Amino acid sequence: MIMLNYIASFFLITLGLYTIVTKHNLVKTVIGLSIADYGVNLLLISIGFNPGGTAPIFTWSELNPASFFVDPIPQALTLTSIVIGACVTAMSLALVIKLEEQYGTTDTREIRRLHG
Amino acid sequence: MSSVMNALSYQHFPIYAIMVLFLGAFLIVVFGGNRTARNILALLSITASLAFILALVKPVMWDGEIIAYWMGGRVPAGGYAIGIALEVDALSLFFALLVSVAVFVSGVYSIQYMRHDDNEREYYTLFLMLGGGVMGLVLSGDLFNMFIMVEILTFAAVALTAFRNTAKGALEAAFKYLVVGSIGSTCILVGTSMLYAQAHTLNLAQLAQVIPGNLNTATKVAFALLFVGFGTKAFIVPFHPLAADAHGAAPASISVMISGVLTKSGIYGIIRLTYFLFQTMNLGTMQFLLVFIGSLSMFVCVTMALAQHDFKRLLAFHSISQIGYVLTAVGLCTALGVSAGLYHAMNHTLFKGLLFLAAGAVLHETGTTDLGKLGGLSKKMPYTTVLFLIGAFSISGIPPFNGFASKWMIYQATYQKAVESGNIGFLLVTIIALVTSVLTLASFVKVSQSVFFGQLPRELENVKEVPFGMRFAMAIFALLCVLTGLFPNLVTTYITEPAARAVFSVAQYIGAMGFDASGVAAETAVSFAHVGVWEPISWLLILCIALLSVTIVAVASKYDRVSQCSGEAVDSKYELFYGGEAQEFSQVGGGDLFWGFKHNWRGYFDVMHRLHSGVVNDYALWAVVDLALVLLFSLIVL
Repeated sequence: MIMLNYIASFFLITLGLYTIVTKHNLVKTVIGLSIADYGVNLLLISIGFNPGGTAPIFTWSELNPASFFVDPIPQALTLTSIVIGACVTAMSLALVIKLEEQYGTTDTREIRRLHG
Repeated sequence: MSSVMNALSYQHFPIYAIMVLFLGAFLIVVFGGNRTARNILALLSITASLAFILALVKPVMWDGEIIAYWMGGRVPAGGYAIGIALEVDALSLFFALLVSVAVFVSGVYSIQYMRHDDNEREYYTLFLMLGGGVMGLVLSGDLFNMFIMVEILTFAAVALTAFRNTAKGALEAAFKYLVVGSIGSTCILVGTSMLYAQAHTLNLAQLAQVIPGNLNTATKVAFALLFVGFGTKAFIVPFHPLAADAHGAAPASISVMISGVLTKSGIYGIIRLTYFLFQTMNLGTMQFLLVFIGSLSMFVCVTMALAQHDFKRLLAFHSISQIGYVLTAVGLCTALGVSAGLYHAMNHTLFKGLLFLAAGAVLHETGTTDLGKLGGLSKKMPYTTVLFLIGAFSISGIPPFNGFASKWMIYQATYQKAVESGNIGFLLVTIIALVTSVLTLASFVKVSQSVFFGQLPRELENVKEVPFGMRFAMAIFALLCVLTGLFPNLVTTYITEPAARAVFSVAQYIGAMGFDASGVAAETAVSFAHVGVWEPISWLLILCIALLSVTIVAVASKYDRVSQCSGEAVDSKYELFYGGEAQEFSQVGGGDLFWGFKHNWRGYFDVMHRLHSGVVNDYALWAVVDLALVLLFSLIVL
């Protein structure tokens, strides 16, 4: 069951990279970044998952050796990663808007004033 | 009272050094509307950070103490690191020292340099965030924390690259950097999460304890991902075009940060990864990987630099070329090599910072960095010229400046490695390093000729010298360049050798955090002796090999295209050293001193020019190909 998550997450990461490498539209490049990011988030969550575990919210007195919960650390990491992903998207879209204003195109093949 | 004394204990200084930078960033957002308040806040926070780091030099660097600092006092429970830790050994402190000095000088320079820009408040906020990000990265003892810091610094660097968004290519450079940088960051995050899945810890010391004995496919893949991720931050081949774009577009003070500080953070990550987390550097193949990528970066970037027409873009390629030296030396896995590599890393921050600031001074006064439009500025900007020349001499490795000392050590280290391992390939590395140094010198002859000497274009008649604040910042770097060049023994004894020793003290690194280091091989006797390197016979041998290779190249190039198409009139401008005096109507500009050389190599340059297409898809493809190759490599080798 969890195996499917791993396969799906690496599929998403690969799909994201594929999008970045092959698509020539700036917006699609940004979409590619986001897809890869979702893949990573899925991977993180899956790593921390224990089948049958509860949410890792306990007070100190409630905690006993019998309590069985999912690993909280990857969840914290995922939250951070989601925030960062949102920032990447926001910032890159801002750059895309400015690029479109300056270059009059969103085709990556024409945005190459710096080369060689 | 005791709590105050406790808070002033140097154990807390690492976190203070990080915090003051971030605190400064936030305070400037709130109170930075006024220019004086903003400058004072920025200066205060960079000075405080520098002071905290300097105060740590004695206990950490000289007394060899490793500071283990658990945030919020959350020490490991049940043998597992739960809290976030800072761990400062001599290696971390070495890089933190570079960061704080570069941030300080660049900040002082910015005050005059950024005067005429809008949004100065945002500039300082991002600038301090960038500094804080790198500082946090090098002082952190936690892999995920390193990822966060990598993201902060990448973000700040991208935003600052696009800061002058009306400048040519600024947005474009920022976008490319963001895309490829994000691929790198994603690699780091995937690698981190895979390591967590295997080892159930994010603490660097504990990872270093657990991983080396338990290598499996997942950790090998994680190694490749982390390696490529930190590679994008160091801009080593194949990520060098991003550095060139970003440097060219960013303000000069930010170029100093990107080349002097950001690339170092990548190198730091690679050292931590290979020497500490996986402890794989004793494998010959792993040394090959680092030395190969380093040599490739060295050579490719210096030739790319020769073909540039933009002052800052040219400097950017040189910057990565010098990072190639650092990576090569570090990859040798000898005490001398690591010491030489760190020494060169330090010198790189100093002389590259100086050169970028000089380029910024030229841009500040003339409004252009196009080599074809500049010239003769030595009469108008004498101080800048002298300071630039100090930087140029340093990077070209001319004694007594610091570049000479560290490059000499790198030649020695590669040669010594060749002697010790009996591997003739390392001799080739020595030769590549020598050739690269020569090409560096050639290219700086070209720059100084076309910017500071030669004829003064009429448009630049009214150029003035830059204000004192900018000259002062450059003078700090220049002074450090000269001092570290004049006293190489003091530098190696007190700064680089403790750091290099820390690289080989993995057991202490693990033990300092309270983990069991018995599984790790204890520190081997570290010797910085230059074995056999001073023997004249060895140098005669190197000379013979170099002569032989030059002869082979010369003989091979006899059949090049120029001599084949001898039906056409042989034009003197195709000659190797063409001064431009023979023909009146020659199209070769003064900025193109080595036109003939480039012409002879035009096949190579054509290929390189086509490869550096400037299309972001291509650069992303390079990243993916690099990742695939390193992945394959680590699966086979580890």
